[in-house]
Amino acid sequence: MAKIKIIEDDLSIANELKNLLENAGYEALITEDFSTVLEQVTSGNFDLILLDINLPKINGEVLLQQIRKDTNTPIIMVTSKNSEVDEVLSMSYGADDYITKPYNPTILLLRIGAVLKRSGRSVEKLSYRELEVIPQKGILEREQAEIILTKNEMIIFLYLLQNIGNIVTRDELMTDLWNNDEYINDNALTVNISRLRSKLKGIGYENAIETRKGQGYILHE
Amino acid sequence: MSKKKYLKDKWLYLVIGVCIYFVILLILLAFKVNIQATISISLIYFIGIFLILTVEYVRKAAFYSDFKKKLEALDQKYLIVEMLEDPNFLEGKILVDSLYEIDKSMIEKINEYKMQTHDFREYVELWIHEVKLPVSSLTLMVHNHKGEQNKKLLEQLSRLDKYLEQILYYVRSENAEKDYLIKRVNLAKVISNVALKNKDILLEKNIDFIVSDVNVVVQTDSKWLEFMVNQIIDNSIKYSKNKNAYIKIVAKEEKDRVGLIIYDNGIGISKSDLPRVFDKTFTGINGRSLSSKSTGMGLYLCRELCNKLGHKIQIVSQEGEYTKVTIFIYKNNFYHLEDD
Repeated sequence: MAKIKIIEDDLSIANELKNLLENAGYEALITEDFSTVLEQVTSGNFDLILLDINLPKINGEVLLQQIRKDTNTPIIMVTSKNSEVDEVLSMSYGADDYITKPYNPTILLLRIGAVLKRSGRSVEKLSYRELEVIPQKGILEREQAEIILTKNEMIIFLYLLQNIGNIVTRDELMTDLWNNDEYINDNALTVNISRLRSKLKGIGYENAIETRKGQGYILHE
Repeated sequence: MSKKKYLKDKWLYLVIGVCIYFVILLILLAFKVNIQATISISLIYFIGIFLILTVEYVRKAAFYSDFKKKLEALDQKYLIVEMLEDPNFLEGKILVDSLYEIDKSMIEKINEYKMQTHDFREYVELWIHEVKLPVSSLTLMVHNHKGEQNKKLLEQLSRLDKYLEQILYYVRSENAEKDYLIKRVNLAKVISNVALKNKDILLEKNIDFIVSDVNVVVQTDSKWLEFMVNQIIDNSIKYSKNKNAYIKIVAKEEKDRVGLIIYDNGIGISKSDLPRVFDKTFTGINGRSLSSKSTGMGLYLCRELCNKLGHKIQIVSQEGEYTKVTIFIYKNNFYHLEDD
């Protein structure tokens, strides 16, 4: 379970963010004392830091530079400053990503997931039952059998796999697809899921994907 | 300063001169001065007046014609003070000194307004960032506490955010300071961000979003471009038809420029409205007749920002058929490039 530090002075946002991250299966800590924030970060052994720019007592960009001196913990800037200059500056100071407020929470989670994956801090499960998942080739493989998935089907399957056993909403799937530049509509999503389902069924995994009416889908272990 | 005008200006002096001459003449006659002496005195008198007028004319004409010529040539008229040579007569000196004083006080006044505008602008920007905090907080709350009204709440929040962006970029576009950063930007990234922003409403309204060949690198400010594309897409969504609506986005690379084309099969723009769509606060027939009112600022801002970035925006439409907006981004080597 990745441990995430939230450096955000707006308490309402910080708490909601903590809530969001915990629901997504992360451990999240908010910041209360901003005068010792650097020590908190360096001693906290975090997997990721969400950092605001407008902070009391210290500027987020300065803090970013100070943190970078000591550690290479991934940092995502989360700020309402949305000019190109701010972003370029932050990235040059060593931020891993830059997200502007207000953001879509699902996208924030996707970006967090991507940064963790890049830094090798999240162990992604890339197998399903006896199947080995090979995203770059677009196939699910096991002895003497192989399923070829389209790009969309693979995106959907990977998202379901990451949230295995939990309900995944259509909106989350849609956001992930659009985040991967696949701008499909509702019908296409339905078609993709039923195709994915029949492909899994073809290899012997009937009812692997369960539909929860009005809620979403679950991939069963 | 023509001679005729000069003389006309001096008519009072001339009249006084002639009157005095008659008085002198009467005195001369009364003392029975002989005729030759009278003629000599008259001649000397008139030559004297002529000389005085000529000398004054020459001095002033040179200064004022130079003054007029410089004033005409100047684009910023108030800079005239810096260009005048010192006049060698009293009135000219008074004029130049006064102009200097007037200019100074005007510049002070302008600086005062400049400061006010600057402070106001800074405050507005700060305010926008402040307002974004509760908006973010609300977005997170809606997401964390799922309920029936979720979609509607998110839609309103996204509207709020759009209006905030509009005023932010209005403030930025009105400002003379350089507020952007040109760097290499992949259009696909910009389109992706805009798509994600509008995903919910596009899906809700069942508008197909078709993107092709946008994997092109251009030189622009990605945030500004994103704002512009967002405004255009917003219009496409607002003025879409109910059935089989789609928005197509494609980038066309030419020799010296890249055209980012945003095409929709919406209700289009009437011929009479088309030339004015970039005007500030212009809301044509479409903008007025729809339930969600148009502010008439979107396309105006697009053009302003395009001008600043050195891009060009073009709009073509057929009423009832389609609207096609193209942003041309020019390729050149003047910009200092920074890699992503």
